[in-house]
Amino acid sequence: MTAEIDIRNVSKSYGPLKVIENLSLSIPAHEFVVFLGPSGCGKSTLLRMIAGLEGIDDGEILINGERVDPLPPGKRGLAMVFQSYALYPHMTVRQNMAFGLENLATPAPVIAERIAAAARMLEIDHLLDRKPGQLSGGQRQRVAIGRAVVKEPKAFLFDEPLSNLDAALRARTRIEIAQLHQRLRATMIFVTHDQIEAMTLAERIVVMNNRRIEQIGPPMEIYDQPATRFVASFVGTPQMNFFDVRGATGSQIRLDGTLSLSTRVDPIDAGRAAALGIRCEAVRVTGEGQGDADGVIDVLERLGDRALAHVRLPGGQTVIANEIAQTKQRVGDRVGLGFDGAKAHLFDAAGVALPLRSAP
Amino acid sequence: MTARSAPSIKRRRTASANAPDWRNALFVAPYLFFFVTLLVFPLFWGIWLSFHKADIFTNGPFIGLGNYLRLFNDAVFLQSVGNTFYFVLLTVPTLALLGLFLALSLNSNSRLATILRGLFFSSSVLSVTIVTLIWRFVFIPQYGLLSAIYKLFGSEVPSFLTDPNLAMIAIAITTIWWCIGLPMMLFLAALQQIPADIYEAAALDNASRWRTLISITLPSIRRTFVLVVIIQIVMQFQLFGQAWLMTRGGPNNTTRAIVLHIYDLAFRRWDVGMGAAASEVLFVLILAAATIQFLTSRSAGDRS
Amino acid sequence: MSARSTPGAARRGFGDHIILVAVLALSIAMIAPALWVIGLSLKDNHEVMANPNSVFHPPYIIDNYVNILYGGGVLRWILNSLIVSVGLTFGTLLLSSLAGYGFARLDFPGRNILFIVVLFGLAVPEQAVIVARHQIFSLLKFHNTYHGIILPGLSNAFGVFLMTQYFRAIPKELDEAALIDNASRFKIFWKVLLPLTLPAQATLGIFTFLLSWNDYFWPLISATEKNMYTLTVGMASMQVNFAQSEGVGFLMAQAVFAGAPIFIVYLFFQKYIVTAVSGAAVR
Repeated sequence: MTAEIDIRNVSKSYGPLKVIENLSLSIPAHEFVVFLGPSGCGKSTLLRMIAGLEGIDDGEILINGERVDPLPPGKRGLAMVFQSYALYPHMTVRQNMAFGLENLATPAPVIAERIAAAARMLEIDHLLDRKPGQLSGGQRQRVAIGRAVVKEPKAFLFDEPLSNLDAALRARTRIEIAQLHQRLRATMIFVTHDQIEAMTLAERIVVMNNRRIEQIGPPMEIYDQPATRFVASFVGTPQMNFFDVRGATGSQIRLDGTLSLSTRVDPIDAGRAAALGIRCEAVRVTGEGQGDADGVIDVLERLGDRALAHVRLPGGQTVIANEIAQTKQRVGDRVGLGFDGAKAHLFDAAGVALPLRSAP
Repeated sequence: MTARSAPSIKRRRTASANAPDWRNALFVAPYLFFFVTLLVFPLFWGIWLSFHKADIFTNGPFIGLGNYLRLFNDAVFLQSVGNTFYFVLLTVPTLALLGLFLALSLNSNSRLATILRGLFFSSSVLSVTIVTLIWRFVFIPQYGLLSAIYKLFGSEVPSFLTDPNLAMIAIAITTIWWCIGLPMMLFLAALQQIPADIYEAAALDNASRWRTLISITLPSIRRTFVLVVIIQIVMQFQLFGQAWLMTRGGPNNTTRAIVLHIYDLAFRRWDVGMGAAASEVLFVLILAAATIQFLTSRSAGDRS
Repeated sequence: MSARSTPGAARRGFGDHIILVAVLALSIAMIAPALWVIGLSLKDNHEVMANPNSVFHPPYIIDNYVNILYGGGVLRWILNSLIVSVGLTFGTLLLSSLAGYGFARLDFPGRNILFIVVLFGLAVPEQAVIVARHQIFSLLKFHNTYHGIILPGLSNAFGVFLMTQYFRAIPKELDEAALIDNASRFKIFWKVLLPLTLPAQATLGIFTFLLSWNDYFWPLISATEKNMYTLTVGMASMQVNFAQSEGVGFLMAQAVFAGAPIFIVYLFFQKYIVTAVSGAAVR
């Protein structure tokens, strides 16, 4: 039932504008892959090209080794869950779920059986005779998923399906989708701009920016070893702290003022370093004069489980540092910052990450 | 898992689901068939006919602008053009202003307003034959409604439909009674589009009712006013039924409208070429009037 | 929030009363002619001709209405109008829906130009084409037939315009979901989108029916035989003769009889009709 998807050297243009250029990607069967990126990065376009809703100008798309790019959407054996669910408003839930199968001339008993099974799994059996207008947002979402499930497709395509839900529902549905994948073990491609969804759901994340793939890898690899400055800044909340590099001596990187950190960069590459990034969990708040740099607390965000101190350095730059939840610090306090250089990332002028020596 | 080799299909641009496709045109083809055969074709044939001395059976010889020249030398035709302009001048401003007045007055949720709105629109669903039938019996001397009213005041009703000075006015009144519903409804729709907060702001700014009307309400519906006027100009230029049924274009051709003249030429005297020519003249007049109205209102709007 | 009432009406001033009186006066002027006609229809012909004021007092009789069922061609005319109007409405809904879907959702070479051409069709008044149509139909021997009366109306671009706008407003995701569900373009039209256009169908249907029912000019010149008259043409033909044969009361009864059905339809579907006609004009 499930399929591997192969995208080879695919390009697409809208008139003179090249939207996707020579993009290649391989998705093995059973994998849950997330296309992650900001609006306009091309992730939805890529998904729609796989679905057949957008044409490709060059390249091939293969499912299980067979070319599907000449085929219309209905003949590719895929199912899609839309951001706005796209349920047929005038049909009941049951009819919505049956529609795709009817178009494939599936026998009625098979249709009924699959609908019953899917409805049971998604807990929507009591809604089968209602119309979408009578359902809540979360219920509609599950019907949209159910419509996809009954088709037993080669792969599931999700186009930002959680964006229309409120925060609580979003978290719950995220878990349901994860469970769905566990259960069906089907190939799933999930498009989102929310890095939390990507981190929690994906077996692999494809990070895209400006219509190019920036990095592909498992979530923790994306988080711990970002390949580009963009990936480093896009993934992780709060955003990574960035500093301009002023100079390097061996693995010691000099930043603004007197700040200088000992990093894991190879001395050979150190000369190319243009920017340094360090996450807030690698920055501690210390007493004044007791850390690598001093500053003033500008903003203190209390999140409940921790606090985030926005510390302004003499040069004007603000650094976000982790603090314990019960911190006694206050806005305006003069504090010091301690940096764990071993956790710093370095990027060249083009934004590409410099290789780091493994941690001792 | 071994990957099967892809079949050797030459690389080509793959059509997306939304690509242009001749077969999609099949959906618009049925309508287009009728559109072309019953509108486009007759339009051009009509123009072609107007350049010929044609009757109902034959197309006759080509006479260039002959029909048009005869038309413009025909006093009756010129009179019908004048009559039509007179009629438009009588009806369009009245319909627009009266419609606006009614919309402003009846723009409320009260039971009475709702009923009255329904009343004023109801005449518009009647056909011209019923409307003219009713109004003939308003105007007719002796047992007409007006006759009865005049008698109450002890005088005699003038014979509207046979008096050259009053006949067109009678037709205008009939038309206003018939057509008032549409302008009123259009203005009502426009009034309801005005957001309530503007009025609330005006109230806080201490604007009087009159001031609110002049400075806020009317400017907000200016576009609709232009639209109503244009629609009514186009509609009333096409006057036919009322003039034909109530007065047959008389007395002394004072109510002869352009369309009446076309009807007479093409379908009574069977001078098809002339009839076609007259209809093209009407077309041009309508287009010109509507365009002028549109342009003048546009430039006035830009200045304001 | 829309302003459902012209505001500042908190204080019932002097101006308000004048407006009220004016509106009421106009209302009376609106309803009086109709009442007059109804009154005349309920009187005996001779009585009315002799003494017009007899309208104001009894006896009121319904003989005129009874006579309609026996004499005159009114029933036949109503049947003709019904056939023509229903036929045109049905045809228009079908053609306009198909074309609207085509223009709104599908792409084909020349689509945009064609749409603009169709839009220009809205600007052409009936008279500019009617002479040619008459000639064409004479050649095709379509006069005095039902299809002869119905066909010209099918070229009206308003329906196409309305349906195109309506289809455009439906979210594209529904089409895409159906495409992934392997539905053909026609299936998408018929099973997915068309059912969602019911309000527009109602509006267009009522508008077309009304327009066709009240049409006068074309049936006048195309249906020249008495048994093919539509109601409007038939009623008009009666107006000439009343003094000689039919009598005032009878004529008025015919008018009421002819106007009543459409008036009753109006009462029930008022909202739809108003929407239809206003929407039509705003095109």
